[in-house]
Amino acid sequence: MATIDFLLGLAVGLGVYVGQQYRFKSQLKKTLNSYATNFNGEISLPLHSLLRRELNNLDLQRQKLEKDRQNWQELIEQAPIGYLQVNAENQLLGCNQTAKDLLKIDPRRSLRIRLLLELVRSYDLDILIETTRKSQLPQTKEWIYYYTRYVSPQDSESQINSYEPSQRTVESIALKGYGFPLSNQQVGIFLENRQPLLELSQSRERTFSDLTHELRTPLTSISLVAENLLRRLQNPERRWVEQMLQETNRLIELVQEWLDLTQLQAAPDRTLKYETIEIYDLIQSVWQTLEPIAKRKNVALFYHGDRQLTVAGDRSRLIQVFLNLLDNAIKHNPPQKDIKVQVSLYQSDTTVEQIKIEVIDSGRGFNASDLPYIFERLYRGDKSRMRKKEDNIASSDGSGLGLAIVEQIVQAHGGAVSANNHPQFGGAWLEILLPVTKPEKT
Amino acid sequence: MTLAPRASGLETHNNKLERSLRRVQQEVLRMGTLVEQSFRLSHQCLFEQHIEATQKIAVLEKQIDQYYRQIEAECATLMTLQAPVAQDSRLLSAIMQLVRDLERIGDCAEDLTEMAIKLMKYPTPEILSEIALMSEHAQLMLATSLVALADLDPSAGARVKEYDDIVDDAYDRLYHAIAFQKDVPGVVEPILLLGLIIRHLERMADHATNISQRVTYIVTGKRN
Repeated sequence: MATIDFLLGLAVGLGVYVGQQYRFKSQLKKTLNSYATNFNGEISLPLHSLLRRELNNLDLQRQKLEKDRQNWQELIEQAPIGYLQVNAENQLLGCNQTAKDLLKIDPRRSLRIRLLLELVRSYDLDILIETTRKSQLPQTKEWIYYYTRYVSPQDSESQINSYEPSQRTVESIALKGYGFPLSNQQVGIFLENRQPLLELSQSRERTFSDLTHELRTPLTSISLVAENLLRRLQNPERRWVEQMLQETNRLIELVQEWLDLTQLQAAPDRTLKYETIEIYDLIQSVWQTLEPIAKRKNVALFYHGDRQLTVAGDRSRLIQVFLNLLDNAIKHNPPQKDIKVQVSLYQSDTTVEQIKIEVIDSGRGFNASDLPYIFERLYRGDKSRMRKKEDNIASSDGSGLGLAIVEQIVQAHGGAVSANNHPQFGGAWLEILLPVTKPEKT
Repeated sequence: MTLAPRASGLETHNNKLERSLRRVQQEVLRMGTLVEQSFRLSHQCLFEQHIEATQKIAVLEKQIDQYYRQIEAECATLMTLQAPVAQDSRLLSAIMQLVRDLERIGDCAEDLTEMAIKLMKYPTPEILSEIALMSEHAQLMLATSLVALADLDPSAGARVKEYDDIVDDAYDRLYHAIAFQKDVPGVVEPILLLGLIIRHLERMADHATNISQRVTYIVTGKRN
């Protein structure tokens, strides 16, 4: 009896055991199936081998990822562009060598995890990080980073006393930062050194204005000599000198315009004398100066809009703007066609009241490929357009500076200018936006 | 078992204080960068004729004032609500004093630009290059003080003091050179302005010295 009871108990126990084993194994298989990447249930290996195989796989993958991560880290460390990363509390988690060089982080100061502001006292960088974090969108910002030298504890006594004025206390470097939001409120920043670019463009500008400066005096004397010669000569020599005089004057004008432009760019708002100007009067007076050329081509001006509208601006500068624009318009207008000027109040989303002035001619318009560049200095568009210019002997420009000057003056007034081809009339369509009152200094 | 919740309560309390302290410290450093920037702008305005600096400095000054008030209020709140002890308490009380020093330096920088504009009407005085050196020294002192504040480095006080002596000597020498000129043609304004400028620079250097000494106090608890 006891034996039967024993066997029965054993059988029940074994049954439970086998059942549990089976359940355990099937659960394990299921888990393997759902987690493993390249597991296929058809391989009929013992379960523990399958398990080992899977673990090996995972381990390999982990090693590969680790290696990848190391590579990337090494790459970032060696990158020619600066990179740094801060956490939610603006503590510096790490930065590469280039960033250290750009921001002049002292290698002697401890690089334990600490506030970025403790190591780099740059308000602009701080703002870039904050705006990136707040907006959770990539941001860019350009600024000039100043680094003030300081006395560190490691500087020896003698160094302090032998301080030379030639050693610069404050250094500056032009930077461009790109902020990227990362997970956990972290922010990554790429830093680009813009200093070489800045110096290059500055030296280019300087060279050019020095050159024009140097050209002005000899050109003036050449033109004076030519004028004197003109009186004493007979044809055909007289005609040659006449032509020479014309070309010389054109060069003088180019030089003068360039100098004007440089001056306007250097100090945009200081050179302006503000007064209240009625736009209609202004355009009429400009048109009168251009009348001789216009008559020759039989071109008329049509003014649309309120004749009482006024703007605050520098009269002589604005006259220059419309001279350039209308002169261009006449040149590219076919004979017997009109030039339109439309003036209206412009409602924009900003609170500043603006006036929109449009100049539209009936010519063929700009080449689409020229449009992005026409406000650049000395840019010449389509050669055929240029040829036509040469026909106009009395033309005042053709220097390639006209539109650049227009843009510079309008911007100095706090306005904007854009160029397009008019969708309806097909001709060149220049739009100027000017604030009605003098813009407040910000 | 009864201890645990209290202990963890203490823990969170400490953490909270620590976080608040770090935030205040960060604000002070931000304010420091702004003050440094306005000092730099006043330097550019004085010695490199950057007129735009005046407008920029006016904006900065407003921001600096805002930080000044905000930091002071925050410190007072922390002092009363969190009851910090030892170094934390010294840190807070020193910061309350230190922001005033910073704010003064900012004020001086603004005054300097005004004087610079007035001085531009006159031909550049020869002595200006020496004053520029003095201004550079003062900037270097401010930078050293701000680094000391970031690192909580008690040894900076002594180093900054050395520079303060250099600036004081420069002040005496320049004062002498300006005051005892003879046969001066024209109006007195440029001379007056130069005198005021070196006076302001000397004050700014003093405030920078104060900052570094307050850092020493935070760490060691000793005033010197």
